[in-house]
Amino acid sequence: MIEPAWRLQRLQILVALVVVVAFAIWIAVTGSLQATAWTTYNVTRHCLDVVATRNNCFALGQNYSTLNNFALVNLGLAVAMPALLGLVLGAPLVAREIEQGTNRLAWTQSITRTRWLLVKLGVGALACCAIVGAMAPLLEWWTGVIHRGARILPSLFDISGFVAVSYVLFAFMLGAVLGALIRRTGWAFAVGIPLYALARFVVRDFARPSLVSHSIAVSPAVSPAAGGISSPIPANAWILHSGDVPLGRFSPAPGQTWQSGFQTVENCQVAAASQVDANRCIAENKLHYVVQYQPTGHFWALQGIESAIFIGGALVLLGITVVAVRRWRT
Amino acid sequence: MSEAVAALETVGLGKRYGRKWGLRDCSVRLPAGRIAALVGPNGAGKSTLLRMAAGITRPSAGRVQVFGRAPQRQTVEVLREIGYLDQERPLYRAFRVEEMLRFGERLNPNWDTLAAHGYLSELGIPSAKKVGKLSVGQQAQVAMAMCLAKQPALLLLDEPLAALDPVAREGLMHLLLGSVADGQTTVLLSSHAIADLATVCDYIIILSASRVLIADDLDYVLASHRLLLGSSEGALDAPSGVVVVARTCSERQIELLVRVEQPVDSPSWQVVEPTLEEIVLAYLREQSTGIPPDIGASESVEGQQR
Repeated sequence: MIEPAWRLQRLQILVALVVVVAFAIWIAVTGSLQATAWTTYNVTRHCLDVVATRNNCFALGQNYSTLNNFALVNLGLAVAMPALLGLVLGAPLVAREIEQGTNRLAWTQSITRTRWLLVKLGVGALACCAIVGAMAPLLEWWTGVIHRGARILPSLFDISGFVAVSYVLFAFMLGAVLGALIRRTGWAFAVGIPLYALARFVVRDFARPSLVSHSIAVSPAVSPAAGGISSPIPANAWILHSGDVPLGRFSPAPGQTWQSGFQTVENCQVAAASQVDANRCIAENKLHYVVQYQPTGHFWALQGIESAIFIGGALVLLGITVVAVRRWRT
Repeated sequence: MSEAVAALETVGLGKRYGRKWGLRDCSVRLPAGRIAALVGPNGAGKSTLLRMAAGITRPSAGRVQVFGRAPQRQTVEVLREIGYLDQERPLYRAFRVEEMLRFGERLNPNWDTLAAHGYLSELGIPSAKKVGKLSVGQQAQVAMAMCLAKQPALLLLDEPLAALDPVAREGLMHLLLGSVADGQTTVLLSSHAIADLATVCDYIIILSASRVLIADDLDYVLASHRLLLGSSEGALDAPSGVVVVARTCSERQIELLVRVEQPVDSPSWQVVEPTLEEIVLAYLREQSTGIPPDIGASESVEGQQR
């Protein structure tokens, strides 16, 4: 069954491969230009003080920001890639057969529907993982170029490490299950995109911050208006929350927000005649400045747990697909 | 009749699509080794019956068994017994013919590779050509070759001859008959071409408006029906001991198709042996003009009890 399953999907897989290879070349080229531009700009950024090179320096800066705009587009494409790849391969897997009636051919051979489905899914899933897995080192290098070391930040986390492999598996199974339920490739794809985006959004914004217990940094109370927070947070950490909260607490008191503490400090600053008075006012309110953050050291743990979530989701969708195909009736 | 397990047996089988029954209360027993014709007008439930026998459609009522096993459970044991040719002859259009055969080879343990290639070379179908580029007739032949090479015990063929030109028709029937000549294979094929079937089949199932009218040996069906021709001038009653299936009146003549248990001997009627086509048409015509369905139903039960 493996050979027929490959023959059935090879066209989509090869087309996807060509598109992804083109994307990889594009990333490699723009990434290299960007790396060069950053180095050049960084080395000469102090040149602004030297009158003779000022114009030259300005041009370098412009070149760098143009490439940065490209970077945003590339980032969007890199984030969208697992979704598109997974849905393109997953949506037609069952739906195309039903649309063309070939399920009636496949399901009357000497092989159970479940086995037929599992082998087809296996071949497709393997292709998805291989393609996304092969892209991972390139994207890892590229995130280093655009934002050195900050890969735990939400915008870069999604395309760093190995988590994208779980995304593509989830998207693939989402396409397959929707295809099996809706029985239309186009609709499965169209419905799959918002559902995938919703799942990713929920996990990223609501689950991910607390997948690993966060770290806390504490310093004396400040106001955002006081300019620059000199907090002891390690570089490149992912800051979840920050603000002035009551002493003894590491999060706002019940009924208060992270903004409430700032407001109190602000009021002290405005009301006080001098900085000494202001500090006394702040001290009386018994506040300190707390930062909740995920340090870069939590990167792999977060990647592992989030991957497990999406792989678990993919397995649930797999179960639904098997039931839907087994129970399929005309 | 032997006690051997039937190739296909349905009891009270029904399929409902929404509020409408596609097939209703269908009880048929097809003994192994027969070549059975399934006839009836469009929408009579022929495809529904075949699809339920192939395990693609689940019954809404009753049960269906292929060699004693329920096909809708989709076990390998029952799937390997079935060769199903769908009405639309679905094939993977992007495959080359040889890839299509390879698909069959990989998925079926009893696949006869030599025969599959033999069929196609006999029919002159190039194996390197894409399936989607073949003519409709050639696609039907490839689909049929796939069914035959699987070497199933029960062939379920839904309109295998439809939309084929006479030459392709003959080629396909030749292929089918050559393949089942050993008498080990049971065939159930639906068709509109009643005349073609008479020479091929030895069993007939007539379906109309979702019900079984007749399911019996072809010889018995032919022997137990007579056409009675009489003048319409005298108000004639049908002879005693016959069941009138259909009555056709013209200005000069009354024509009755009757079911008989013994030879009819009536001076006022001319007795003619009907062709299969005449019998089938008589049943279907009467069914469509509103004959009570229980006549058909009771006869089909009689046929099974014999």
